[in-house]
Amino acid sequence: MSKWNNNLSSNLRKSASTITPILIAFLIGAIAIILAKENPLSTYFILISKSLFNIKGVLKTLHYAAPLILSGLAIAVSFKAGLFNMGIEGQIISSGFVVAILGYELAFLPAGVLIPLLLLIGIVVGVLVALLPAFLKAKYNVNEMVVTLLLNYAIFAILEFLTSTVFRDPSSGYVSTSMIGSSAIISRIGDSKLTLFFFITIAVFIVMYFVFHRSKLGFEITAMGKNRSFAEATGMETQKKTMYIMLLSGALAGLAGAGWMMGEKFAYTLSFSGTPGLGWDGMLIALLGGHSPIGILIAAIFYAVLKTGSASVAIYTNVPAEIILLLQALIILFLSIKFFNKKRVKKEPKKEAATNGSDS
Amino acid sequence: MDLILEILHDSLSLTGPILLCTLGGLFAYKSGVINIGLEGMMLFGGFIATLTISFTSSWVLGIITTIIMGILLGILFSFFGVTKKANFIITGFAINLLAVAVGKYALAILGTNDINVISNVVRERSDVTLWLIKDIPYLGDILSGHSLLTYLSFILIFVTSIILFKTKFGTYVRVVGENEEAARSLGIKVDKVKYLAIILGGILCGFAGYNVAVNQLASYTPDITAGTGFIAIAAIYCGQGDPKTSGLYALVFGLSRALAVNLALIIGSIAGLLDIIPYIMIVVVLSVVAIIRERKTLYRGFIHE
Repeated sequence: MSKWNNNLSSNLRKSASTITPILIAFLIGAIAIILAKENPLSTYFILISKSLFNIKGVLKTLHYAAPLILSGLAIAVSFKAGLFNMGIEGQIISSGFVVAILGYELAFLPAGVLIPLLLLIGIVVGVLVALLPAFLKAKYNVNEMVVTLLLNYAIFAILEFLTSTVFRDPSSGYVSTSMIGSSAIISRIGDSKLTLFFFITIAVFIVMYFVFHRSKLGFEITAMGKNRSFAEATGMETQKKTMYIMLLSGALAGLAGAGWMMGEKFAYTLSFSGTPGLGWDGMLIALLGGHSPIGILIAAIFYAVLKTGSASVAIYTNVPAEIILLLQALIILFLSIKFFNKKRVKKEPKKEAATNGSDS
Repeated sequence: MDLILEILHDSLSLTGPILLCTLGGLFAYKSGVINIGLEGMMLFGGFIATLTISFTSSWVLGIITTIIMGILLGILFSFFGVTKKANFIITGFAINLLAVAVGKYALAILGTNDINVISNVVRERSDVTLWLIKDIPYLGDILSGHSLLTYLSFILIFVTSIILFKTKFGTYVRVVGENEEAARSLGIKVDKVKYLAIILGGILCGFAGYNVAVNQLASYTPDITAGTGFIAIAAIYCGQGDPKTSGLYALVFGLSRALAVNLALIIGSIAGLLDIIPYIMIVVVLSVVAIIRERKTLYRGFIHE
């Protein structure tokens, strides 16, 4: 009975510590909305209602949630192991770019062959892009965060060059590659925006759920994240695992990029991943979801609601669609604090007294 | 020859902001806090500076608001990272995102693509000419004609060195970074030292943003920083937190940026690829430094952090 109570209160605390940052972010966001001379309440209502209160909106939201789930999982896999793979963004756009080029060049293949092939290629590209930082981290302990972040800039510059020169579609008015062939497009379901890719994502999600909670790798990820040196000392091959985890993260990102290309964008443009980019969205989602698969699923859908809604906000009010960027940054900011942590609350006064004592 | 002089001249001015961020991040780094938010603090600095100048046409006010902004961001980061014991990697990252978000949101509300201060700045734009030095052949062309903040950034290398190694505050910062518990037992107010170190960094990053947005580009867009904050973090890592060594790396990265800018004018459409030089170079330098370090200290197969 008491165990049950403990579980309940721990779950309550978990949800409270997730919801509080969101509420604070929305409160501060309200100030920004007032600055744009609009009513925060009605703006927030539009933000949510258009993407949640009708079937079409819900399907659209789920469609946008698919790549977010994958990129959230990609971030969570590495962050949970204490590896800050910030290269998700670069891995997503690389994969999207290669899929765009091959989807155009190989358009003669039938859809049944081409789509699985391109998804696979997307995964491979994601892995390849993750290979260098993974190797450097595993073998030489080069700070993976700095390397992946800087490689993002390099990758973007390279793709910008390729898109605007070698692979530019001459018939297009702006910088873009040629459209992928119709056999490379993942078909929609009925007249909704939802594609089969969503169901592929859910399948991957289920696999990842078991990887996180039931597999040896999942256990090792948690162990490494908690204390890497200890994990090493108990005989875990952390170098090898670092490699695996970073590459798995890259594979998930690659799949996200491929799906986003074949289900939504159909050609690589410089704004392929949007602002701030699917990779950064993934970071918010992983943090909101507390690095657990179920949490990520909920967070991805929540964020897709906001993302879909932000377009409506820009149409129906004077508030710019950039409000979503603001909310995202604020949520991440306040998520970095743990608001309700039982252990901390209990220990804090004691520790604080001790510190105060030595301070004065 | 002219080209070489031009590249060397530019590498000094492009080093300026990198150096300011590097030195800014150094204080926090030495006190045991890695500030990923350098980039965002710099962007906020450039934003508030151009905003102030475009409304008041006064660069003095621009500097003052930049400093205030730096202090506020420093307090924000410290409050989260030090007082609330947040995961400061994520706090720093959130500040970066926030800087871009605030910039884009403000531009959208103002209904423009950038905050242009060319007309306001022209009068103050006068780059400093160093008398006597400017008449030395070659050397004069390279050293003279930079903005005041550029010169300041190079002077600050030595000032930082002195502060860190010769003053009481600097010693406190280093002690806190080396061993927090020991510092506490000596009666050092650990949190206060960290706050000061981070706030100092916030101000210097603000200056970096001012330098880029006002002196170099005379306009603000949310992408003017182009990874400068992360380049600075790489410089800090490579130099292992020593102001002079880290400063030297900042100079190397400035040089590679100057190469990209100047060569772009000559070789045409492939120039887009040159933008990657600084980033690739940093990854190479980081790797080489790490490989050398690992060769030196590998024991028992343990990975030292």
